[in-house]
Amino acid sequence: SGELMDLIRTEGQRMTAAQPSETTVGNMVRRVLKVIREEYGRLHGRSEESDQQESLHKLLTSGGLSEDFSTPYPPLRANVIEAINELLIELEGTTDNIAMQALEHIHSNEVIMTIGYSRTVEAFLKEAARKRKFQVIVAECAPFCQGHEMAVRLSKENIETTVMSDAAIFAVMSRVNKVIVGTKTILANGALIAVSGTHTLALAAKHHSTPLIVCAPMFKLSPQFPNEEDSFHKFVSPQEVLPFTEGEILAKINVHCPVFDYVPPELITLFISNIGGNAPSYIYRLMSELYHPDDYEL
Amino acid sequence: ALLPMANVAMIDYTLEFLTATGVEETFVFCCWKSAEIKEHLQKSKWCRHTSPNTVRFVTSDLYRSLGDVLRDVDAKSLVRSDFILVTGDVVSNFNITKALEEHKLRRKMEKNVSVMTMIFKESSPGHHARCKEDDIVVAMDSATNRVLHYQRTQGLKRFRFPMSLFQNSIENVEVRHDLLDCHISICSPQVAELFTDNFDYQTRDDFVRGLLVNEEVLGNQIHMHVTTEEYGAHICNLLMYEAVCSDIIRRWVYPLTPEMNFSDDKNQSYTHSKHNIYRGVDISLGQGSVLEENVLVGQGTVIGSNCSITNSVIGQNCRIGDKVILEGAFLWDGVHIADNVEICHSVICDEAEVKEKVKLKPRCVLSSQVVVGPGITLAEGTVISLHPPDEEEEDDDQFSDDSGVNKEESKVKLKGYNKKDVGSEGRGYLWKADDKNEEDEEEQRQSLWGPAMHSEEESESDSDLSMGSEEPDSRSASPQLDDIKVFQNEVLGTLQRGEEENISCDNLVLEINSLKYAYNIGLKEMMQVLSKVILEFPLQQLDANLDSQNYFSALLPLLKNWTPLFKNYIKRASDHLNALFAIEEFFLEHDSLCTSIAKVLMTFYQLEILEEDVILNWFSLRDTSDKGKQLRKNQRLQKFIQWLEEAEEESSDGDQD
Repeated sequence: SGELMDLIRTEGQRMTAAQPSETTVGNMVRRVLKVIREEYGRLHGRSEESDQQESLHKLLTSGGLSEDFSTPYPPLRANVIEAINELLIELEGTTDNIAMQALEHIHSNEVIMTIGYSRTVEAFLKEAARKRKFQVIVAECAPFCQGHEMAVRLSKENIETTVMSDAAIFAVMSRVNKVIVGTKTILANGALIAVSGTHTLALAAKHHSTPLIVCAPMFKLSPQFPNEEDSFHKFVSPQEVLPFTEGEILAKINVHCPVFDYVPPELITLFISNIGGNAPSYIYRLMSELYHPDDYEL
Repeated sequence: ALLPMANVAMIDYTLEFLTATGVEETFVFCCWKSAEIKEHLQKSKWCRHTSPNTVRFVTSDLYRSLGDVLRDVDAKSLVRSDFILVTGDVVSNFNITKALEEHKLRRKMEKNVSVMTMIFKESSPGHHARCKEDDIVVAMDSATNRVLHYQRTQGLKRFRFPMSLFQNSIENVEVRHDLLDCHISICSPQVAELFTDNFDYQTRDDFVRGLLVNEEVLGNQIHMHVTTEEYGAHICNLLMYEAVCSDIIRRWVYPLTPEMNFSDDKNQSYTHSKHNIYRGVDISLGQGSVLEENVLVGQGTVIGSNCSITNSVIGQNCRIGDKVILEGAFLWDGVHIADNVEICHSVICDEAEVKEKVKLKPRCVLSSQVVVGPGITLAEGTVISLHPPDEEEEDDDQFSDDSGVNKEESKVKLKGYNKKDVGSEGRGYLWKADDKNEEDEEEQRQSLWGPAMHSEEESESDSDLSMGSEEPDSRSASPQLDDIKVFQNEVLGTLQRGEEENISCDNLVLEINSLKYAYNIGLKEMMQVLSKVILEFPLQQLDANLDSQNYFSALLPLLKNWTPLFKNYIKRASDHLNALFAIEEFFLEHDSLCTSIAKVLMTFYQLEILEEDVILNWFSLRDTSDKGKQLRKNQRLQKFIQWLEEAEEESSDGDQD
């Protein structure tokens, strides 16, 4: 199984190098590696608990632990495949799991704000709308304006929806009860990489002490810390910001079109994921359940 | 096509664009340096068996132009269905499926009338990615996107459009100058056949113009597709190279950006940072050096301290000294730059070396392995290469082939390097185009950098070309009046010859008939012209100021001779009327000859060219102009008419009896 892990690791490195902003790819690779380790460990005779290294004593005494993965076990393969299937089922059910928690968080006659288009948030709000009546304000999230699509879908479910421009976020925030957003990635310190505009939204919410709730499934949790400023960014063609037809001026200026925003963990109130609600400060603990420390750097 | 744009060969961009839009089979036609292109592509990802796009090579040294290539395609029947025609230096992120669907739909609906769809991108005229040599003005039908008129505009201050463009039944004609030609075309198999048929089509331009001019005859149409959001450009000269390179770095061609590393080369992975700085692997930046904005640094490069680099592309394994200022510089692999150098908007090719304290002004080109010595300043637009200037240069290309240099050096005595040009330690020669052909030289020099964007030079050589292309347009669409004039002259010529050489009337009729068909003249006009010409004939033969008597005596024999002519054309009543009107017009113009109008009419009557009914009819027409009325008051004419009427009565009486 050591070879298998090496193979998976090289492929994973290649894939993440191709598009660093798609962290989900790397996350899944790490999950699979963790699955393999677990299965191997189980067959090897170790109990699951000891692998966790929970107590300080274990941390001190078991330093330098490097498992030797070379002993082959015939049932390993079947076990791994089974575990991966379980993982797949879990992935398919994440949106529903999150949506099921909707009723606890949304109350009647509330004004909820969101930004851009997120399928998770859409499912969340739709589920709540079946029993409660509330209003939604959607910030349109220029320049791609995905907020429009979100508003259309929500209004199909008979939710009262309003679309507004990003500039009005602060102005309207005083009337809002809760802010619910989706995200692209959750970083190890509890920070977010979300669509550009989310940072503005988070700051406005903090200023008005409005709770910011992030709905994201666990596969978006990435064990990377935001040390290198450039790793997660994605800049696309400036066409959206200043179109090509503008002509001569384009040779003299620099136009950027960033896709993502960094939102620091202090601005977030709650993470809702398929395993329940969590505070941002607790995220790092969740990581150890999902990934093995050796895999943090793929 | 192997020139590196942002450190990736241009042909890779083209192939990536094609593969991304779903092309599955590509034919690459090469003529120069084909072995190297082949090798490069075979090493690249497109020739692996996992590639969705299979690449096939066809090489031949005989290809001199696009026309030759397409003729070869037709000869070898390489493509059977619609194909996309692209030059090897197109950079684009265009998704061609939509345009392709439209093209196929058009062909299905109108049974193969539409031959080609050209792809254009909307961009305003001043944009730096619009190559000045390539600038066009297009007139199109906005409903069907059909191209009606296509013209190169380089150097022209005025444009001419043929009237037929606006006169036919199309309702909305748009004239657009804001289009950039992407040089991507979706062609049908007929295109290759058309190239074979017309042997002098060399470029796509010829083809387009030829098709548009011959449109009515062959029924082929060209359509176009305009895109606003996607990027497409074609590198034809160094200005375009600079523009497209900077566009790539500034991410206009997303997703083909440098850090994507689509060519899958281990050496090419970059990380993208703020202000569009792309850094390769293993580079080292000295203290105090600043990569300000829009810079791409290749792998393994070492940059010294206190440098300032903006808007540049640096290749792999370069060595840059201290205090260097690079602004708009394009350095290929392995370049060595010593300290205190200033490089401005120039291209420095592989392995070249620039020694200390050199200043390169804008638009210099240093070719491969050239050394430019310490302390000199190269003026604007200098090109230094290792090819000695007196050699017969076979290749038109501006980047010399170094393997060739070694062979040639052994043949020729080694010339000393001109110290003035390249500095004391320099190696290289100032490259000048051949002085033989002045015109070519201008074109070549322009083709290096393209006409400068800021200066106001006019390029005269090219304006000749465009003048030439205007003429056929104007002649084919000239208004009808001109034709008639020409026809008239022709008829006059025919009659003159007829008289001089005593050609029989049948032959004259034949000639006039054929002229009529050639100039597309209607019967009515022909009658008018004929009458006019004949009546004017004596005037031309003899003196213009003729009095009636002499005129008439000159005219009479002519009329007698040419009676069969008239009889041939004057058959129906309306013809008679037309002839009479023409006669009237003629006499109105020539007042002095008014008196002989009666005699002329008499002659016509006697020769049985005109019938009395018609003459009477004409005479009694109510709505004639004042002058016409005055004419009719002419004594003689009235007498003649009276006589006619009496004659008619007599003959009708005679019949009754």
